[in-house]
Amino acid sequence: MSDKVSVSLTINGAEHALTVAPERTLLDVLREDVRATGTRRGCDEGSCGACTVLVDGVPVLSCLSLAVTLPGRAITTIEGVRNGAELHPVQRALVLHGAVQCGFCMPGIVLSAKALLERNPSPTVEDVRQALGGNVCRCSGYTRVVEAIASLGGRP
Amino acid sequence: MRYAEPETVEAALSALSTHEDARCLAGGASLVAMMNAGRIGPGMLVSLHRIPELSTITETGDGLWLGAMCTHRTVAADARLRGAMAAVREAAAWLAHPAIRNMATLGGSVGLADPHTEIPVALVAASARVEVAGPGSRRVVPVESLFVDSYRTSLQRGELVTRVFLPRGEDGAVGHHLRFSRVAADYPTVSISLVLAMDGDRCRQVRVVVGSCGPVPLHVDAADQRLVGTRLEAEDVAEAGGLLARAAAPIDDVRGSAEYRRMLIPRLLGRALSQARERAHV
Repeated sequence: MSDKVSVSLTINGAEHALTVAPERTLLDVLREDVRATGTRRGCDEGSCGACTVLVDGVPVLSCLSLAVTLPGRAITTIEGVRNGAELHPVQRALVLHGAVQCGFCMPGIVLSAKALLERNPSPTVEDVRQALGGNVCRCSGYTRVVEAIASLGGRP
Repeated sequence: MRYAEPETVEAALSALSTHEDARCLAGGASLVAMMNAGRIGPGMLVSLHRIPELSTITETGDGLWLGAMCTHRTVAADARLRGAMAAVREAAAWLAHPAIRNMATLGGSVGLADPHTEIPVALVAASARVEVAGPGSRRVVPVESLFVDSYRTSLQRGELVTRVFLPRGEDGAVGHHLRFSRVAADYPTVSISLVLAMDGDRCRQVRVVVGSCGPVPLHVDAADQRLVGTRLEAEDVAEAGGLLARAAAPIDDVRGSAEYRRMLIPRLLGRALSQARERAHV
């Protein structure tokens, strides 16, 4: 017999009352129950970063986070980063720099970059590389991705 | 699967005793990955995240007690981890990548006993002691006594790690953790963690531990002794490194062959010692 646990998750500012089995990950719940499918399932083992979301403002891997442990925490997914109809500055910079190819890794990259810029508004290129250390991209070779995010910091 | 969220260590121990196949859930970075892969399917999870005691950091005259649920991000940012204790702070700062450091915990790393990651190596170098709670009692043991084999500890069923003590070490001691890896977020090919104290240009005390080169962190008394009293010149380092390389039991994998790892040990030892020495003289 499996416990079913009632939890209330705060996702992009909205409360979601859910009943979940303890083994279900935040990624499962986001994609299957909340239907917020912008968060991608890549490796399911914490190696690729495609499922990165923010919990209380810091990047975590939703594939390794059990939903039952997260009531009361502020969860931010890619669906929550826009301001109304406007793209988040990180998203705009990635588009302007032509940094996006297939796009599968981008939700995770946008959230890692958003967390970095909130902590450190003018990161160096090296800071950006470190912050994206857990986000694997198979298309871009990273150069334009890093340039796009670093361009937001106002450093030459 | 059953689930419990106790708020005290005693309640956690009691929950663990109710199910034969109960596992503690700390940060989840390894446990949930293994569940996702179908490699384990615990009958019960006892989440430790609501137990305030386990996230507490206490400074004493002799050193620092770090709660088992401290994340690597917290450990890496704690400026009180100076001197000998800096080996553990540096190891936490290099472990895996930011999202993992935001989730994975010190106690989780002890319980996992993965010989390829940074934390066990640095804890052994820093002479850490671990408090283990079990039914009815707590005990404090040297960290190396917990690491019995690759991914295997001497923790008994129904026990859990509550906190880790890092001794300040002797005056002037400096800790340093050096990793060699293909890219920053990868597992190290070889890592060296050490605590060094100098008397002028002579080595007064040293404790060197090698990671990713055997089933448990590798510490060889004779290698430390070969360095003590010397000026850490090339020949001293080469001989101490040779002792470590001969005692090592590395594996061949995608990060390097066993032979390559053995060749790396003396070179990384020299580099780690000279970096630590620069700090010892500050």
